[in-house]
This record gives sequence, C-alpha cells and structure tokens, in this order.
Amino acid sequence: MSVDAPARTLNVALVGNPNTGKSTLFHALSGVRQKTGNYPGVTVEKKHGSFTYQGQKVTLIDLPGTYSLAPRSPDEMVTVDVLLGRQANEAKPNAVLVIVDASNLERNLYIVSQVKELGLPMIVALNMVDIAQEKGISIDGAKLQERLEIPVVPTQANRRGGMDRLRETIVSLSGQESIEPQSPFPEEFREKVAQLNAKLQAQTPDAPRYLAERLLLDTSGYLETELLHGGHELHNWIVETRNQLAEIGQPVPAIEAISRYQWVQQSLDGIVTRETSRKVSWSDRFDQILTDKIAGTIFFILVMSLMFMAVFSNYSAGIFMGLIEDGFELLANGVNAVLPDGALKSLLTDGVIAGVGGVLVFLPQICILFFFIAILEDCGYLARAAYLMDKLFSKVGLSGKSFIPLLSSFACAIPGIMAARVIENRRDRLITILVAPLMSCSARMPVYVLLTGAFIPDEALLGFFPLQVLVMLSMYLLGILAAVGVAFILRKTILPGETPPFVMELPTYKLPSITGVFWVVVEKGWAFVKRAGTLIFAMTVIIWALSYFPRNESGVEAPFADEIAQLKQQRTGADEQQAEQIDNRLAEIQNEIDGELLRNSFLGMAGHWIEPVVKPLGWDWKIGSAAIASFPAREVIISTMGVLYNLGGEEDEESESLKDTIKNAKWHQSEENVFNIPVALSIMVFFALCAQCAATLAVIKRETNSWRWPIFTFSYMTVLAYLGALVTYQVSAFFLLS
Amino acid sequence: MLPDIPLSMVRPGTKVRISQIIGGCDDVKRMAELGLRDGTEIEMLQSGSPCILRVGQSKLCFRPSDILNILVNTDKVGC
Repeated sequence: MSVDAPARTLNVALVGNPNTGKSTLFHALSGVRQKTGNYPGVTVEKKHGSFTYQGQKVTLIDLPGTYSLAPRSPDEMVTVDVLLGRQANEAKPNAVLVIVDASNLERNLYIVSQVKELGLPMIVALNMVDIAQEKGISIDGAKLQERLEIPVVPTQANRRGGMDRLRETIVSLSGQESIEPQSPFPEEFREKVAQLNAKLQAQTPDAPRYLAERLLLDTSGYLETELLHGGHELHNWIVETRNQLAEIGQPVPAIEAISRYQWVQQSLDGIVTRETSRKVSWSDRFDQILTDKIAGTIFFILVMSLMFMAVFSNYSAGIFMGLIEDGFELLANGVNAVLPDGALKSLLTDGVIAGVGGVLVFLPQICILFFFIAILEDCGYLARAAYLMDKLFSKVGLSGKSFIPLLSSFACAIPGIMAARVIENRRDRLITILVAPLMSCSARMPVYVLLTGAFIPDEALLGFFPLQVLVMLSMYLLGILAAVGVAFILRKTILPGETPPFVMELPTYKLPSITGVFWVVVEKGWAFVKRAGTLIFAMTVIIWALSYFPRNESGVEAPFADEIAQLKQQRTGADEQQAEQIDNRLAEIQNEIDGELLRNSFLGMAGHWIEPVVKPLGWDWKIGSAAIASFPAREVIISTMGVLYNLGGEEDEESESLKDTIKNAKWHQSEENVFNIPVALSIMVFFALCAQCAATLAVIKRETNSWRWPIFTFSYMTVLAYLGALVTYQVSAFFLLS
Repeated sequence: MLPDIPLSMVRPGTKVRISQIIGGCDDVKRMAELGLRDGTEIEMLQSGSPCILRVGQSKLCFRPSDILNILVNTDKVGC
C-alpha cells in the first residue's frame, strides 16, 4: 500500500440478503462510531460507520438487507441509486462489500452476480462459516475467490472473526477505480441491453448501463415510469424487444433468474461439499416446538406475558420510574426555591419540568420493552412469533409482519411506527402505521391508573378477578379490537388491492449479542428522549402559555385580599395549632385563586366553549379543557386536572388528594357529583382511542412523507374516541345511574 | 411419475420438488430471488397457511395464496 499520498476516504457500501449477519458485521467493523438517518422521501434507513486501518479512512454505508437489486418501489430504488452514485447527498461508493451466508451460498450469490454488473470493485464476506460447518457444509474459499475473480474473505461477524483480514482487503482496494462488469446473460440479451442503453443515454446522458438492463427486465412498469416518465417511443421499443427475446427463448423477466442461477451453479460447482445426511440441528428441534400450532402458541403467550409483566412491574421499570420522578421533583423544588413567583417560575415548573418530566418518566418502560424485543429479534424468535400471528393478522388483511410494529407500540407508538419499515408491502405498512397509535402506549397508563383507582370499586369479580385489573385490561383490549376493526375497514375501503405473496425468512436461532442488544436499547431510548422530548417540550410551553395568559392577577385576587391580609395578621400572634389552620386556609385560597386564573385563561375559555360538545360524554368544562390540553401529549391531563381542580399542578396519578377532589367535584351551582363510574369510563375510553400525541403524528408525517396520513389518523381516531366515549357513557349511565 | 399437486396439499415432513410456479411475472421472479424456482427441492416443515418450507439451508415462511400457486412433484427426492 502506498503511504506517500494523503489517503482519501474510501466509501464502501454493504449489501446482502437479510439474516446474513450484515448489521453485526457492520457493527464489528465500525465499532460504535456510527450515525443513522433517513433518506428523504422514503423509509429507507441509512447507517454510516467508519474505521481507519493502516492510515486509510474507510466510511461504511449499511444498506437494507435485500435479496436482489431489482427495484420495484422507491424504497428498493434507493439501494440501487446509492450503488450507482445517483443518490443525492451520498458519495458514490468506491467499493461494494457483499455479505453472503456461507450455509446458503446458492441463493446469496444471486445478488453477487448483480453487483458484479455494476463495475465497482467488490469483496465478498463469506459470513457464518462456523454455522455452515456445524451444518456439515464446507466451502473451498480460495477456489471460490478464483472463480468469482473477486476477493473472498471468510468471516464470523458475531465472534468478530476475520475482521482484520476483511479490513486489510477493503483497504487494499484503495485506488482501484472499477472492475470489468460481468454479465451472466446470453449474447443476444446483452446486445439488446447495449441498444437500449444507447437510446437511454440519448435521453438521459448519465444513465448507467445497469439501469438500461433493469429497464428491459422490469415488467412491473415501475422503472419505466421512474426513468422514462412515460415516453411512448421507447416503451414500444422495449415491448417489441421483449417479444423478440421471448421468441428466441429468452423470455423477460424469467431470463434473469435462469441466467443468474446458471452462473451461480457454475461458480459453485465442486466448491461446496455437503455431508450426505442432513443433521437435525438445535434450530430444527426448537422449531418443532416453537412453530407448533398449540405448543408454539402457548410458549408465545408465556413470552408475551413475561415481557409485559417486566414492563409494568413495580420491581423493574417501576424502580427506575420512581427515580426519574424523584429527580424531576428535586429539580422542581430547586427551581421553586431559587426563582421568585411569576411567569418564568410557572413556565419552568408547571410547563417544562412537569411536561418533559411526565414524558421522560416512561423511558424505563420503553427501554425494557425494547430490551426484550431486541433479544427476541436477535435470537430469531420474533420471526416465529410473526409466523404464529400471521393466521390472525391475515384475517383483517394484514400479515404477520405487522406484529412487531404493533407490539412495539405498546411501549410507544413512535418506535412502533418506525418498526413498520420491516414490511415491504407499502399498503400493509401504511395500514400498520395508521392503526399503531391505537395500541395502549405507556402514556395512557397514568390516566387509567388514576381513574380506575378513584372510581372502580376495589372488589373482585367472581371472587378472584380484581375489578380494577379487569377495567385496565379491557382498555388495552379495546385498543387492540379497535385496531383490528379499523385495519379491516381500511382494507375494504380506501386501501384496497391485491395481496402480494407473503414470504418471510425464519433465521437460524442464535445467542443474542449483548452489545448489539445494548446499542438497540440505547439507540431507541435516545431517539425517544430526543424526538418526543423536543416536541413535548414545545407543546408543554404552548399549553402552559394557554393556561397562564391572559393573567389578571389583581382582578382575581381582589375578592380575597381582605381575608388574606386578615389571616396574615392573625398568624403572627397565633399558637401552633391556629397557625396550621391559618396556613391551610391560605393554601385553600391560593388554590381557589389559581383555579380562577385558569378558568379565565385561554384554555379555560376554550373549555367553556366546548362544554356543549363534551356534555353528552358526561364531562364538565374542566374535563373538556384537560382533554384539549392533552391533545399534544395525553400525559398532560394529570397535571391539567390538578390545576383545574384547585390543587396546584404537581399532582401525579398516585396523589390521594387528587383522587379525593375529583371524587367530590360538583357541577357548577349544584350538588351533583361530576365524576362517577360512567364518566371515568368514558374518559378512559376517550384516552384509549384518541390520537393525543403530536410526536406520533409527526412521525407518521415523516414515515409516509405526506400530511394526508397524520391528518387522517388524527381525524378518524378523534371521531372514534368521541363515539366510543359517548356510547360508553350513555350505556353505562343507563345501567349504573338509573 | 406422479402428477403435480399444489404445495398446499403437501404434508409436513415430505420432501418435494417444485415443478412449476404459476402467477404474475413479477411475483414468480420475486420467488426466484428468494430461491423458490422450478426444480428446487423443498421440504414441508409445517403445513397450513402460512406454511414453513425448507429451501436449501434456509427456512421460508410462506402463505400459499390465491395469486401464486406452486405446483410440486411428489416423486421421492433426496433419498
């Protein structure tokens, strides 16, 4: 390697089939120095990592796992565009690293044959050689390298085996600009591609030859619309050429599979040796149980129960949540002590700390849920769970692949919606994204806990099933059932279409990688803190301002001024008992003033304005304005109710006084209680179904690249929530109050 | 030689060879990219919808759907 010239950065793209250990290899090569992001307009995630070897800096671009470089959708086009240097804001790769699964060479070499046509210097990482050996497969790597005419490096990415040799080989490609593209297609076909290429060049001067070939092969029509924008003349030429090729026995698109597999077979001839009898592996034994309709389903339910117990148990997430709450309380007390009363203090304690703290408190639950999901995914179980769920999901027009995003949504819809990227079918993905916010996320928990605790009698149904648990559980079930119904309706109405073939690979079971799981948890946790945090922060400031202004303090305080002055005077000469009474009365007055200020705020005005709308739900204006306030983030309802019911904003769902106060709250100028079981149920149902989360809507906008879908989600969920709450109140009031 | 039968009729534990995949061009090609093509030897591991097939060394979970039909030959293979 030359050391004189200052080394320029070598850009290397990673491609390969799913489940070949591509991401593990990416992590092993680049360590922790990596960045993830999105390509604009599509859901394809880009991961950049880098390493320096022998003074050469190498940047890695990890592309999504794919079986082929035949783009049929904008998402698939990104991978091809990156490789061809056509992707904006992405440097053209100097080389391609293809990761292949050693135990599955025949299929994996298909994509190698496609990369060979790009003309880029390339390396094959022959990964999982150890697993192949266990399966009784041995591969002559040296001979394979000779046949393919490209460097082949055996690796064991999960044990970091072969990394140094791989780095060395990558660095050795520095300075090599291109290789001779090799096509496995017959002569006649290549001639047609050359002709089409010439025509394409005339139209789009820098169109690569590879795209001309794809244009001829892609009968789905995607590339033609993408590249030619419906040019008639060229379209007719392409159709005519396809007919000619079919006549000479090279029908498009079948010719591609035929030619490439022929090449694969020639390349592998005499290189792979298999033991004659197939060993029954551990994976097979596990699968016999875990994919069994009965035993597998029982195991699945056990795993899911264990996971949710860990997420909601006071002994796991609860401890950390308590610590976070204590931390924010300390912070609020600190701010309270340091700052004088006024707008700034109110903004910091009631707005920022209450709002952001209220969201961050769910971080432990999200991390625990992702810890489980990452482990299950890494060891290969989630694919089996998706298989088991497919039967159920296919009934509403989805596939088992929607299971993982919906499962994640129980922690938080944001990562759940992002997890929908595993679904290649655009319509299935869209439906999954649209119903994911109906899963009861952890932000709904405080609402459920407060209201069930206050209104549902602490009794057991049939002697053993606690009624409160039953109500909580039914809220979760309600979300699931609503999602099922909505998915079914969407499928039948605005998102109809043919079901594409559903195929999913079940990876071999393996021990999960601790570092891999750790980074997933860190990545998802940080994404939650950052995305939800920034948006919640902004929203709480807005809601705070709406509930703070216009502030006519002197006007509100005037009626109490005399009493306050009197009390303060009495306090100076009072004994201990009297002083306590006076302090209590002063606090009561302060709460009264705060309540009055809130009633006169913009939020309070809005509350009065919508009272006629929420009255059929059994709600008064306070519940109405608390619900409005919690549209950006449903957690806000707890602190808003605290302020509205004259208690000060620092209430949480465990607060006994908040429970007591709302229990005793009366309708204006009446002795009738505002809250009762039907009202509590109707609030819970509203919160279970409503899209009160601006961050979720923002993520839907980003993932679908359109404002249409977040607006749609918001509208349908709000209507659903209103109707659900209405029916709940009217029906339960009929039975319980009459 | 036994006649070709649809994949959905194959019982678990049986090894068969794909004789024909019927469906739209693109769908058939997508199957080929996954390793499912004429002449491929497969083993039915779990039947039903979806079923689990062993294709080479990988396991594919597959819904024998209406728009794609896989015909297989049940003459004993791989013995």
